[in-house]
Amino acid sequence: MLTAYVASDFAIKTRGLTKQYGQTVAVNELDLEIKIGQFYGLLGPNGAGKSTTIHMLTTMTTATSGEAWIADQLVSADPVVIRGTVGLVFQDSALDRTMTIDENLQFAAAMYNLPPQIADKRIDELLSVFGLQEKRNVKLLALSGGQRRAVDIARGVLHRPKVLFLDEPTIGLDLPNRRAIWRFVEQLRRNEGMTVFLTTHYLEEAAACDHVDFIQHGKLQQGGAPHELIEQLGAYVLEINTADPENIAAQLTPLFGDPIREDQQLSFKISASDFNFSELQKTLGDAVSSMQWRRPNLNDVYLWTFCSPEQGEAV
Amino acid sequence: MSWRPVKAVVGRELSKLFRQRARLVSAMVRPMIWLLVIGSGVGSMLEGQQQEGYLTFLVPGILAMTLLFASLLSALTLVYDKEFGVMRMMMIAPIAHYWIVLSKLIAATLTAMVQAILLLLLLVILGLIDINIALGLLPAALLTSICCAAIGGLIAVWSKSIDNFAVIMNFFIFPVFFLSGALYPVKQLPDYLHYIVAVNPFSYGVDLLKHAVPNVNTDFSVTTDIVVLISFSTIAILIACWRFSRESVHEPLFHRATKR
Repeated sequence: MLTAYVASDFAIKTRGLTKQYGQTVAVNELDLEIKIGQFYGLLGPNGAGKSTTIHMLTTMTTATSGEAWIADQLVSADPVVIRGTVGLVFQDSALDRTMTIDENLQFAAAMYNLPPQIADKRIDELLSVFGLQEKRNVKLLALSGGQRRAVDIARGVLHRPKVLFLDEPTIGLDLPNRRAIWRFVEQLRRNEGMTVFLTTHYLEEAAACDHVDFIQHGKLQQGGAPHELIEQLGAYVLEINTADPENIAAQLTPLFGDPIREDQQLSFKISASDFNFSELQKTLGDAVSSMQWRRPNLNDVYLWTFCSPEQGEAV
Repeated sequence: MSWRPVKAVVGRELSKLFRQRARLVSAMVRPMIWLLVIGSGVGSMLEGQQQEGYLTFLVPGILAMTLLFASLLSALTLVYDKEFGVMRMMMIAPIAHYWIVLSKLIAATLTAMVQAILLLLLLVILGLIDINIALGLLPAALLTSICCAAIGGLIAVWSKSIDNFAVIMNFFIFPVFFLSGALYPVKQLPDYLHYIVAVNPFSYGVDLLKHAVPNVNTDFSVTTDIVVLISFSTIAILIACWRFSRESVHEPLFHRATKR
């Protein structure tokens, strides 16, 4: 029985969690188990159901069927309690641009019923993590996109949530700001030991996660620890550009399995770590215009999960 | 449930009111224009004794207008905040969602009362009304202001975006104001307008304010006014809270991002 669920070391757990908008199934029978203190990444293309999953787990929308637990509390039982337990940094800003950082954070703190003195100390502490103490009385309008995002994250963790949800926290930011945001998140995790649930489509950013899963069309594809997933994929990824992809594919498929094909480029997984590439180069000769091999990364895992020949989907 | 979140929402609205000087000034100028221009203009068509009487007659109506505009505009920040994202900060807070509506309506009532008090002060200083009458108008103003905030709450929970603002002005604020007896005695209106005035809850606020000014003819009894205002406000606020607690109302707030 779902309601007779006993205390566990899971920060987030779902069983058959489903959300339907009319005929569209946004999230389909999701089963998740995320341990306390984990850094979890849910990866997938736009519209795959990442945000909807977060919104169901944070009571912003109710599930059509299935159940979810946050820190052992049934999400549907008391949304107010759940909202006190989680922190959510929305994809779009939740701040008032006409007010200062201090006014925004004081307002947010009051919404969490934090007494002013405690709120004041906490704001101080967070702004020093983000290096924004100097800007405390500056209006949000005058801040950069990255600084505003940092304030948004500070707002999400004011009340020391047990679980922090970050919905595409670095979307629309340039590289230095993205890196800065990740440093802050890492520091927050270190300081406060909170469980972090992340969605992103910048896959390289998810490499720091303890566990990642992929989601597409609302369906979860079991993932794992990023480094394990990368290892499982193979020792190398071989990319070949050629004017005659059919011929090359026919030649190499028996050796490496089916490739991913994009126009004139073929990508193969190679599992043998001692594979002799120069031999292959000689064999192929003039038939290829370029050929390169490299260690796989999370992007490759993603591509092979969603665009692999077995999946029968075009890139 | 603690009062701190409610106080924060109310405090934010009040500090915005005082920060936006132009809004405050226009809230004072608008009624003065009506009172002095319309009052004197229409008054000039009347004779001798009646002229002065019309100006006095207009005071409750003009005060009601200030309350209507102030309460309604403030209640509509429920839509405005949604548009600019601040609503997300309130939605994720550990409070039941109807408290957001209640806090906003309390804020709307108070911002309207601040403006009413300033207007009354101005009228007293200009010698247009007596200080005792001004004080007598305050309780009636409070009930009217709650009623206007409730109307605003109803409109706000049904509006998807602030693009509808012109629509709201033309289809709600102006009809509610003109068909209320604020500018003319209801008894002299043609029959069909009479009925419209009678179903307009704002009319009872205007009438209650008229009761506070001596020598002004009223259309309903004080009891009728109070009963109608309180019942309407209660029902409207309950409906607004119920509607706001339904998540379909907020889907655009979260869906916009996902659909991108």
